[in-house]
Amino acid sequence: MKPADEEHPARSGGALLSRRGFLGAAGAVAVAAVPGAVVLASADARADSSGDASADASGDVLDVAIIGAGLAGLTAARDLRRAGCESFVVLEARDRVGGRTLNHELGNGYVSEAGGQWIGPGQTAVADLARELEVATFDTYYTGETVFIAGDGRVAQDLQGTFGTDPKLAEQLDEMARGVPSGSPWKAARAAELDQLSVGDWLAKQNLSAEDRVGWDTTTMLSGGTLPAKMGLLHFLSMINSANSRYEQLDSIKDSAQETRFVGGSQILSQKMADALGDKVRLGTPVRRISDWDQAVVSLHTDQGLIRARRVIMAIQPALCNQIDFAPALPELRREMQRHWPAYAAGRKTAHVYSKPFWRDKGLNGMILQAHGPLLWAYDNSPPDGSMGVLNAFVTQSGLPSDPQQAEPMLSALFAQALGDEALHPLQFHDLDWSREPWTISCVSPIPPGFWTRYGGGLHPPVGQLIWSGTETADIWAGYMDGAVRSGHRAALQALHALRQIG
Amino acid sequence: MSINKQQQGIRRTLVIGSLLVLAGLVPAGISFGSELLDYQRFSEAVETASAEAEAKGGAWPQLNGVCTPCHGADGNTINQLYPRLAGQPAAYLNAQLNAFASSKRPNPTMSSLAINLSPAEIEQLSAFFAAQAAEPNSTFEPDPQQRALGEQLSDVGNCAACHGAQLQGQGTFSRLAGQGYDYLVKQLQDFKTGARQDASGVMLPITVQLSEQDIASLATYLASLQGAVNAK
Repeated sequence: MKPADEEHPARSGGALLSRRGFLGAAGAVAVAAVPGAVVLASADARADSSGDASADASGDVLDVAIIGAGLAGLTAARDLRRAGCESFVVLEARDRVGGRTLNHELGNGYVSEAGGQWIGPGQTAVADLARELEVATFDTYYTGETVFIAGDGRVAQDLQGTFGTDPKLAEQLDEMARGVPSGSPWKAARAAELDQLSVGDWLAKQNLSAEDRVGWDTTTMLSGGTLPAKMGLLHFLSMINSANSRYEQLDSIKDSAQETRFVGGSQILSQKMADALGDKVRLGTPVRRISDWDQAVVSLHTDQGLIRARRVIMAIQPALCNQIDFAPALPELRREMQRHWPAYAAGRKTAHVYSKPFWRDKGLNGMILQAHGPLLWAYDNSPPDGSMGVLNAFVTQSGLPSDPQQAEPMLSALFAQALGDEALHPLQFHDLDWSREPWTISCVSPIPPGFWTRYGGGLHPPVGQLIWSGTETADIWAGYMDGAVRSGHRAALQALHALRQIG
Repeated sequence: MSINKQQQGIRRTLVIGSLLVLAGLVPAGISFGSELLDYQRFSEAVETASAEAEAKGGAWPQLNGVCTPCHGADGNTINQLYPRLAGQPAAYLNAQLNAFASSKRPNPTMSSLAINLSPAEIEQLSAFFAAQAAEPNSTFEPDPQQRALGEQLSDVGNCAACHGAQLQGQGTFSRLAGQGYDYLVKQLQDFKTGARQDASGVMLPITVQLSEQDIASLATYLASLQGAVNAK
């Protein structure tokens, strides 16, 4: 077996993503209304608004600068172009596009996703985008038995494409979720009451067995990014609200947000959009400082020089916004929101590659859930034709060494316990700890109790010429790839409207 | 994860199986019997681990769960990139969480976590990890030569003066014995550049004299110290 890092220079870094489709790139979203202030640009600034994205080098001013070339930023850029706007640029800190989506190349044109990867029912924005980009989809493989392991014990069970959540608990959550608007949970009628509680506070009253507690630990970890004690109930309910207030549509596979995969891997959406945008997308261009955001023309100080624009779409998540130096300082609510935004939910995702999905012949679906161990959830991530076997897994940072030579055999042994000794000898191993990725930091956002009612109001409203985008700002499916796309569409509309008012 | 209805089915079968065994009527299907045994092991492992976690950290769901993914349930992460919290002095942990919250020790991950903790929660987490037994850093494989060089550097620099005779930590000084190798390297580099500052200000003059090679040696020595003694 050859460690993946020998072949893939970008091997691992950091963060995570959870099972469903989390993420696109950063963030964005939009908000409702457009900036109140209509700013009149100076005549000479307007005059130089050429369509050449490189015009800024000579001191010209762009209509729009987009920060972040993930799903949100690239969707916004694509919309601007479709509206006839050519005076824009997309600035990306990394040397690649896709944000929190990333394909591991497995050879022969096959890939396995290291980041957000699934879509499901109700995620219409990303599904439409995929159709427009001619990216096909296929079903997650879940036929057969799921294996649970703990210590040296093992239980196999056919869960019919679910995680076996108690339907009574799910119904109670659904009922509460109906009153919590997905994109603005702090506006719920019961917001003050619900935001005092963690998911753990609520679950602690439900008389759960030890096995069910482990199940909820895993669920909130994978979907929400932290364990129940610090997972805000109001936020968790807003996630369920995104799924049409049906918990099973959020946290299951069949008819749920983990149901559908993209042929070619989720990053292909961003790659296709970026290809079409050509030199509008500038890689390796981190924005360190943003000045004059309250003036007609904003200055972006990047590692590749100064860029000036009339509007800026911030298609990065709040925790990354917090890394940028703003001059003048941002308004207090926005600033404090960013400062408190939870950035500690980086996922770590591995991929084992085998010559074939051997578990399928044994009536197993490749899914493994471990109680009290490094393995949170493994699942079949083989290509559509099943011509090679791929097991992806969400694992903890603490439970496996960072050295792939050490981590692979430890994880393979767990796979073998669950699926058989064929698991002991993968052809390839990939491991990405997203917390080591400085341009991601965190994948999903485990909003803690009390956060939304205190800081929620700072998430959406534009500030000066800054328009906030990224999946975290989406009205529906915030935190998912679908939310990223929605936030990109909305940010483009906001920018276009604001520019129209200037004209 | 939930093994609901079918699980109850298995449980019933398990009871029946046990009765049969007691009666001397062993079920014919051996594989069936091993399935039962497997389930029994599974169930016992979950119950045991849950009981142990509750004995250490109180009733589920435990606050320290928020630290588990990176640092391990009891603070003994086996990943060299992340600091081991088990057996660190409570005063040190408390001071660091406060430093993260105020960004005196800037770190996007930890700052956003600490800033969302109440003073009582910081106390609770500090006490919890201080009380956990520090386990040896068994996944670290030290280079013997580097280790020897590192030991000399540690003696010359008199790390023990502040960090304790066995480098087990004391007061606001961290436990170094058995700490993660990559984490130690990063901290020594950060002290050297001033990216991390300690309250006493003593780490800068100490580390500024260290070469990258020295830092690697020192980290090798510290990471490989297997002393299981906890800080006072």
